Amino acid sequence: MSTQTGPPRPHTVLRDELRPAWSAAVRAEWTKLRTLPSTTWLLAGTVAVTVGTTAIIAAATHTSTGPDAARQDPTKLALTGIDLGQAIIAVLAVLTVCEEYGAGMIRITLTAMPRRTVVLAAKAVNLTGLTLIAGLVAVAGCLMTGRLMLPGAGLGTADGYPLVSLAHTATLRAAAGSVLYLILIALLVLGIATAIRDTAVSVGVVLALLYLPPLLAQAVSDPLRRHLEQIAPMTAGLAVQVTTSSPAQVIAPWAGLGILAMWAAGSLTTAGVLLRIRDA
Amino acid sequence: MNDASIEVSGLRKRFGPTQALDGMTFSVAAGTVTGFVGPNGAGKSTTIRVLLGLDYQDEGHALVCGQRYAALKYPLRRVGALVEAAALQPSRTGRNHLLWLARSQRLPTDRVKEVIDLVGLDSAARRRAGGYSLGMRQRLGIAAAMLGDPEVLILDEPFNGMDPEGIIWIRGFLRSLAARGRAVLVSSHLMGELQGIADQVVVVGRGRVLADATVDELVARAGSDRVLLRSPTPSEAAAVLQRAGARATVTDRGTVIVGGITAQRVVEVLSPAGVAFSEVTAQRASLEDVYLQLTGGATQYRAGTQVQP
Amino acid sequence: MRVTSSPARQPANRTRRPAHGAATAALRAEWVKFRTVRGWLIGLVLAGLLCVGFTFVVANGHHQGICTGAGNCTAGHPFVPNGPGGEAVADSYQYYTQPLIGDGTLTARIGSLTGVIYTGPANQAPSTAHTRAGLAGWAKVGILLTPSTRQGSAYAAICATGSHGIQFQHNYTRDQPGRSGTQTSSSPRWLRLTRTAETITGYDSDNGTTWRQIGTTRLAGLPATVDIGLFATSPVTYQDGATGAATQATATFNDLTFTGRTASGWTARSIGMSPRDYYPTLGAGSTHRSGANVTITGSGDIAPAVATLAGGSTASESLLFGIVVALVVVIVIATGFITGEYRRGLIRTTLAATPQRGVVLAAKALVIAAVAFTVGVVATALAIPLGHHALTTNGNYIFPTSTTTQVRVTVGAGLVLALTAVGALALGAILRRAAGAVTAGIIVYVLPNLLGPGVLGPGAPAATWLYRASPAAAFSVFGALPRSALVSYPFTLANGYYPIGSWAGLAVLAAYTAAALALATYLLHRRDA
Repeated sequence: MSTQTGPPRPHTVLRDELRPAWSAAVRAEWTKLRTLPSTTWLLAGTVAVTVGTTAIIAAATHTSTGPDAARQDPTKLALTGIDLGQAIIAVLAVLTVCEEYGAGMIRITLTAMPRRTVVLAAKAVNLTGLTLIAGLVAVAGCLMTGRLMLPGAGLGTADGYPLVSLAHTATLRAAAGSVLYLILIALLVLGIATAIRDTAVSVGVVLALLYLPPLLAQAVSDPLRRHLEQIAPMTAGLAVQVTTSSPAQVIAPWAGLGILAMWAAGSLTTAGVLLRIRDA
Repeated sequence: MNDASIEVSGLRKRFGPTQALDGMTFSVAAGTVTGFVGPNGAGKSTTIRVLLGLDYQDEGHALVCGQRYAALKYPLRRVGALVEAAALQPSRTGRNHLLWLARSQRLPTDRVKEVIDLVGLDSAARRRAGGYSLGMRQRLGIAAAMLGDPEVLILDEPFNGMDPEGIIWIRGFLRSLAARGRAVLVSSHLMGELQGIADQVVVVGRGRVLADATVDELVARAGSDRVLLRSPTPSEAAAVLQRAGARATVTDRGTVIVGGITAQRVVEVLSPAGVAFSEVTAQRASLEDVYLQLTGGATQYRAGTQVQP
Repeated sequence: MRVTSSPARQPANRTRRPAHGAATAALRAEWVKFRTVRGWLIGLVLAGLLCVGFTFVVANGHHQGICTGAGNCTAGHPFVPNGPGGEAVADSYQYYTQPLIGDGTLTARIGSLTGVIYTGPANQAPSTAHTRAGLAGWAKVGILLTPSTRQGSAYAAICATGSHGIQFQHNYTRDQPGRSGTQTSSSPRWLRLTRTAETITGYDSDNGTTWRQIGTTRLAGLPATVDIGLFATSPVTYQDGATGAATQATATFNDLTFTGRTASGWTARSIGMSPRDYYPTLGAGSTHRSGANVTITGSGDIAPAVATLAGGSTASESLLFGIVVALVVVIVIATGFITGEYRRGLIRTTLAATPQRGVVLAAKALVIAAVAFTVGVVATALAIPLGHHALTTNGNYIFPTSTTTQVRVTVGAGLVLALTAVGALALGAILRRAAGAVTAGIIVYVLPNLLGPGVLGPGAPAATWLYRASPAAAFSVFGALPRSALVSYPFTLANGYYPIGSWAGLAVLAAYTAAALALATYLLHRRDA
């Protein structure tokens, strides 16, 4: 039998009692995320997929500069990688909660932290932080790629397009909005995954919710198409990337991001309620 | 009984058509090891999950340290629990598993090293938990339960998958915890594992308590002890003993099972009657016998009659 | 206990045919495993229901209307005639005709063939006010024989064309080429059409004396009295881009020679050239005769109808989104069918029961393929009539589809789901983790369908390549729009035409699945379970 040091010293206990429980939960969840190798890979993957997609799209773009050619939106084009990068962030968000259910470890988690909504909030805080970092890097990479490659695709200053630059208010809004978009997607997915609890089903539902409404919108005509694009998380949220006015735009940039925020809030609220009322 | 470390009272819970808990009531006092036994499906794990606030009861209440578990601020400092020992995320190391638990309770990182040494897992602590044997997972689970050096320990089937050495270690460990005033609740579906360590035994079946007593009381309740008698003339010996008021049955192996009188009395009756005998053995009922007797009607899953081809 | 021994329980009987038996047993075991997970069965039913439901939603979101005046529209579509073979056709032309009783021959020399192309705005009704000179490739002028001038009637014609030389055509879909090259004043063309009972024969000549037979056909049930005469028509051209422009052709015929019996004289008629007719025509048709010279101006086409011109669609187009949704569900189930075994170590039990790992994977593949195929076929069989009904109710024109096409679409839906399910299963066996496998499955099998029309835009060359080389190529099996070599029309993705044949497209999908399955089999053998 080894010797035991006994419980923490009384003054420590007293001090801890005064600190909020949620900060310990945040640290615990942070330790969990940090000690899973997949977290690092998925964050790196998000950046790589986002910037890589933008690079491929930029390389494949050849814009004709005729007088009747439609005006392009270089900033939105540079941020196209987010379309695909969000899938990786979504997987990270799903794994944050579903892997615990898959292994049955959620019972250990809830034994250590019986306040379930605090656990969900702690996961949300960590996911927000990680997505913020990955999103900032990915968006910066996209804008840099756009600035370097788009002039070669017929979208340079010689063609009447400004270089992609954060000095433009609209570009700054699109960039910051894209990072916020990724964070809101992560939170939306976290809520869905908490409600569903199964990894495979969650990934399927989440990717379907993100990618299928735009496809459905293509298949139907107005006004259904318009309404779909206004309320679907991806099409509404990505409105924040638009920097040139276009008749195809169905919702204002910040309003679109607001719709996505409502999705995320609704999803997290539902998840919090379900987490509280269901047996673990 | 407000001083009880664990108090379970009138728990009822239904899963669809199954009444998992049907008025479960018992308590565990500080400084004791309480065995929590019953056949598979008797409601042991459900009770423990309700105790830990994982599942919600339909009726009744379950208190730890006089409070609802969910009301404890840093619960692992008060209550250590081993549930779902096999449930680990395979790519995380054992040490990191303990580390996040320590963070959740604001325990110092040093404490992780201490409990790893305590359960003898130091050689494996930095390996992926996915590669652990069931026994190693149990040790890691016990380390997690000991992290906050709690006053109450709730261990669900800690002997599962343990090698004999590990079983001996746990038994000694649990006794030493009780000796230092901790309250320990140990569930098991095998009574034999608890013999010699449990002060109190709660036997459950079909969601309710069948017996809640000390080991001695339980054994006594199993009825009077029997005496085994070997004699060259078993029928004659049986007749003599029956005349003396004892129950005596001759077995087909030529021995006599005597009930109703002590071994001492058997010798006293047979010797004057001139009946020869080669052996008189008092047979004490084991905890296992008591358990089988108690749970005979409450077993949910019973093996079918074996048919030999 | 009594030991009984009956012949039926003898071990020798139970272990008969070990090799064949093991595979069958593995197959049955996997089937039991599949059908006993309630979530998967619910998922499959859900996949079918979603497919049917979304087909209805998409079909119901399509409206077609006829507008008269300002904003006064009613649901409906212009009349599209059907040809003798049941296919939708264009039948608009200027005709200068007289009845022919019994056998006879009409001969004419084409003196000149010229045309104009509409250059005005695309959103206005074409008018001759804005035109430039130019001849559509499939502008046709010549001699046409038909039992009736009702649109969609049977016919046979010998004609000179804008750029396809002399053609003998009949019943909209058939043609036999004659002399190539366009006629000029220095190189005129003579045409001749002869009726003998039910047989019609076309000839051409470059000197009016030596005749060459171009083609012949039998028009079954031809009445004694038919119409025979000169015609001119000129279809929408796509010479100037993706938007079509209406055209008009003018031909001068000399040396009109008629042999045979007739009841009355020559009359000029415009067939299918009014603004009410669906086929876009340019200007009014006209006919001028002076002596043996006849000048005919006409616009339209006598050919199979194609997508945008007829304004039509097919019910299978409405099915596509439902199929994509069903694909996502099937991918989740198929990957779970194998990753579920790895999560809790069930795979070890499975491989202990059937040590031939390839057999286990094959059994799983067969089971998942069979259930996915069934869901696809049943869902499509329900969705297509429902979609058809919704489209028709909303006034949409729907191309008539043959039974063969309907069977191809239905079986094709089953095959697309089955091949995708097996591919997802293989990805599950390769990656062994649910999250990775589902994501990979959706990226490989679903995303190309989204990238194609959505991100890249249907007109982009990259989208066309996605539908040739990615698993999305299999969606060509749902293509039911009519095509014809007799129509100069961009049969492109943007117009709803897939860039690869149905079965070739399915083969592309099968190739992806086969590659995944091969890698999965290899890894399953090589790795520890």
